[in-house]
Amino acid sequence: MELQLGLALPTPNMLKGFDLNNHGLDQLKEMGGLEAWNKAAGCFADKDCVKSKRSFEQAFGNFTEECRTKPLLLWSGQPNEEEDHKDQKKATFSTTDENDAEEDDQVVGWPPIKTWRKKIFQQQQQPRVGRAENNRVAENENGRSIYVKVKMEGVAITRKIDIKVYHSYQSLTNSLITMFTKDKKCNEDDYILTYQDKEGDWLIAGDIPWQNFVRSVQRMEIVKNWG
Amino acid sequence: MHKKMAFSFPDEVLEHVFSFIQSDKDRNAVSMVCKSWYEIERWCRRKVFVGNCYAVSPRMVIRRFPEFRSIELKGKPHFADFNLVPDGWGGYVFPWIAEMAGAYPWLEEIRLKRMVVTDESLELIAKSFKNFKVLVLSSCEGFSTDGLAAIAASCKNLKELDLRDCEVDDLSAHWLSHFPETYTSLVSLNISCLGSDEASFSALERLVHRCTNLKTLRLNRAVPLDKIANILRHAPQLVEFGTGTYTADVRPDVYSDLAGVLSSCKELKSLSGFWDVIPDYLPAIYPVCSKLTSLNLSYATIQSPDLIKLVSHCPNLQRLLVLDYIEDSGLEVLASSCKDLQELRVFPSDPFGAEPNVSLTEQGLVAVSLGCPKLQSVLYFCRRMSNEALVTIARSRPNFTRFRLCIIEPKTADYLTLEPLDVGFGAIVQYCKDLRRLSLSGLLTDRVFEYIGTYAKKLEMLSVAFAGDSDLGLHHVLSGCESLRKLEIRDCPFGDKALLANAAKLETMRSLWMSSCAVSFAACKLLGQKMPRLNVEVIDERGPPDSRPENCPVDKLYIYRSIAGPRFDMPPFVWTMDEDSGLRLS
Repeated sequence: MELQLGLALPTPNMLKGFDLNNHGLDQLKEMGGLEAWNKAAGCFADKDCVKSKRSFEQAFGNFTEECRTKPLLLWSGQPNEEEDHKDQKKATFSTTDENDAEEDDQVVGWPPIKTWRKKIFQQQQQPRVGRAENNRVAENENGRSIYVKVKMEGVAITRKIDIKVYHSYQSLTNSLITMFTKDKKCNEDDYILTYQDKEGDWLIAGDIPWQNFVRSVQRMEIVKNWG
Repeated sequence: MHKKMAFSFPDEVLEHVFSFIQSDKDRNAVSMVCKSWYEIERWCRRKVFVGNCYAVSPRMVIRRFPEFRSIELKGKPHFADFNLVPDGWGGYVFPWIAEMAGAYPWLEEIRLKRMVVTDESLELIAKSFKNFKVLVLSSCEGFSTDGLAAIAASCKNLKELDLRDCEVDDLSAHWLSHFPETYTSLVSLNISCLGSDEASFSALERLVHRCTNLKTLRLNRAVPLDKIANILRHAPQLVEFGTGTYTADVRPDVYSDLAGVLSSCKELKSLSGFWDVIPDYLPAIYPVCSKLTSLNLSYATIQSPDLIKLVSHCPNLQRLLVLDYIEDSGLEVLASSCKDLQELRVFPSDPFGAEPNVSLTEQGLVAVSLGCPKLQSVLYFCRRMSNEALVTIARSRPNFTRFRLCIIEPKTADYLTLEPLDVGFGAIVQYCKDLRRLSLSGLLTDRVFEYIGTYAKKLEMLSVAFAGDSDLGLHHVLSGCESLRKLEIRDCPFGDKALLANAAKLETMRSLWMSSCAVSFAACKLLGQKMPRLNVEVIDERGPPDSRPENCPVDKLYIYRSIAGPRFDMPPFVWTMDEDSGLRLS
C-alpha cells in the first residue's frame, strides 16, 4: 500500500548555500565560511587542510566513516533510491550499543519519563532482589501493593495486577473475567484459575483462606477446564 | 504632514494602551516599533519572562525594566527531566534573588522552572519582598522544608505556593505550622511533591479552615484517605483538589463521609492525586464527575474496567492524564464520552518491561483522534505504531498544536509494513499546520526531517531521539523550520557539517541540545570562536575534551544565544567554547 502524500522534493532555492555534492565546501567558502575560518582559527592539526577538499574530510570526516551523506540523487529530483535508504540505515552512527552493554539493556533517560514519575513506579513496583524468576513483580515495603503476573491460556499478553486491591476470590475472578474477555471470548465455566505458591507448586485457587492466598501467590494462570 | 502617529499621543496614553498587552511576545514586538515606544514600554512592563536564565544577566534585566512585579525564569535544558544533565550543571537562582532583593523591594511574583533553589534563596525572598504573593517552583530542587518555613513565616500576603514536581528535602512537616494564625490569604497550595510521612494534619486543617479564599489544594501522598473529609469539609469552595493516598481499609463510614463532603464541593473542576487507588473508593467522586474538566489519574494503578467507569461519568472532561491501564478499549470509551477533550497524556505503567503488559496500541490514539474534535495536545507512550495510523490521525485531527509520541523501543518500525515511520510523521506536519511542539520516535530516516523542514513552519520545539541517517536530517530542520526555538537531539548521527552550515540559525533560537551525536570538539571550538553571541558549552564527564583528538565527538553539547557572555558558574565537567577557546579551556 503506497501512501502518497504528493510531497515535492525540495527545490534548488531551498538549498541555497548548501549542496552536499561537494560536502558543502564550495558553499561554505561562498559564505565566507570554512576557509576564512580555517585561517583565523588555526586550530586544525593538519596544516594542509586549508588547501584542499580532501583535508576537510581529514579534519572533520575521519571518525564519521559511517556518516557519508547521500550526494546528488535526493536533490536533483530523481526517484528515491529505496536500496540506498536501507544501506543508510545500516550505516547509522550510534553510541547506544555501547550504552546498552553497560547499562543492562536500559538506555539512560529512555523512555523519556520524568525522574519523579519513575520513582513512583519504583515505589509501587520494586523487583525482588535475588529471585531468579521475577514472577511476583513487586512488593512494596508498606504492603501497599503486590503485583502478580496473570496469564491466560491462548492469550499473548501477560497482565499484571495488584492483588492487594481485592478482598475475596469473587472480586478477583470478576475482575479477571472482565479483563480477559476482551482478549478472548469465553464462558466462565470453561476456565479454572490456578496459581503458583511460594514452594513452586501449582494449585487451584479457592481452597485456602483469602489472606493466606494473598501471602503465598507468586503468579497465576487461567487454564481451560478439561475436567 | 508626515506626523508620526506615535508622537502625537502623550506617554501616559500609550502606557495605558500598553497595559492591555500582556503577552510577552506582543510586548517585545511593541518595544521594537521605535525608540520612544521602547522607552515607554520598558517602564511599564510588569511581567518579565526569561526563557533561559543564562541568556541575560539579572543586572541587564533590572536595568531595562525598572518596575517589574513578576518574573519567570527557566534554567536547565528540558532533557534534565530525563537525567541527561548531570548534577551540578547550573541553573542557580540565588544570583537573581540577590540582585532583585536590592533593587526591587516590591517584587510580588517569582516563577521558576528547572532551577536550583536553596534554602538561602528562599530565606532571602522571605526577607526582602514585603508584598510577596506568588511562588511557583516547577521541577526545581536544592531546598528543604526549612526554606518553606521561612516563606510561610514571613510572607503575610502570600497567595500562591506551588511546588509542582520539585525535589524537596523533607526534613519536617512542621513547616506548615509556621504560617501564623493571623494568615488567611492563601488561594493556591500545591505540596504534592512532598514526601514526609509524618504530616502535620492539624496544622493543615487549621490552615485550610482559616483561608476561605482557597481555590486550589493539592495534597501529598502522605495524607491518608480518612483525613481528606476533614480537610475538605472546611473548603467547599475548592476548584482544584489533589488527594493524597487514595487507599484505606474499606469502611462504610469513611466512604460515606468522603462521598458526602465531595458532593458538597460544587465548584470542583479538577481532581488529581489518587496514589495507591482502591477501586472501592472511586465511586465517591462520581457526584463531582459531571463538572470535571481536568482529571489526573497518572498515579492511579487501577485497571481498565474501573477507568472506563470513571471516564464515562465525565462528559465535560477537557484534560486527562492517565496510565496505559486504560487500554485501547478505555480510549474508545473516552472518545465517545468526552467530546470536549483537548489534552490527553497516556503514561506507561511498565516502561522497562520487555513485553507489553497492557493492551494499549496505536488504535487507542486513533480512536481518540477520530472521536474528539477539540483534541489538540497529546503525549502518548505505546509500543507499536504504523504509518497508516499516523496518517489517519493527521487527517482527522489537523488542529494538533502539540504532538508527542513515544514508541518505547527505539527505532521501532511500522509494525504492518516494517518501513520507517517517515511518512506517518510527515503527514502529521503536513496536515497539522499549527503544530508548535513535536516529539518523534520509532524508526526514522533523513526523510522525516525533509518533511519537517518543508511543512512544519510554525514548529517551535522539536525533540528527536535515535533517528536520522546523516547531517542532511539536521540540515533540513535547521534550514526549513522558520519558527524553531528549541531543538533537542539525542543519539542521532548528526555531525559538524549541518551545524556549521547553519550556524547563523542558532542565534534565532533559544537553545540547541545534542547528546550522543557526532559533533566534534573542533567544530564546537569553531562555533564558539565565530559566534560570540552564542554560548557553546561542552558537557563531558569523561574529562577535558582537549585530552582527546579534536575530531572526537563530544558527549553532550548545549548551545544557546546569550547577551550575557559565557557563564562563570560551570562545574568541572562543562567547558565553554568562546573566543579564547583555542588558547585555554575553562
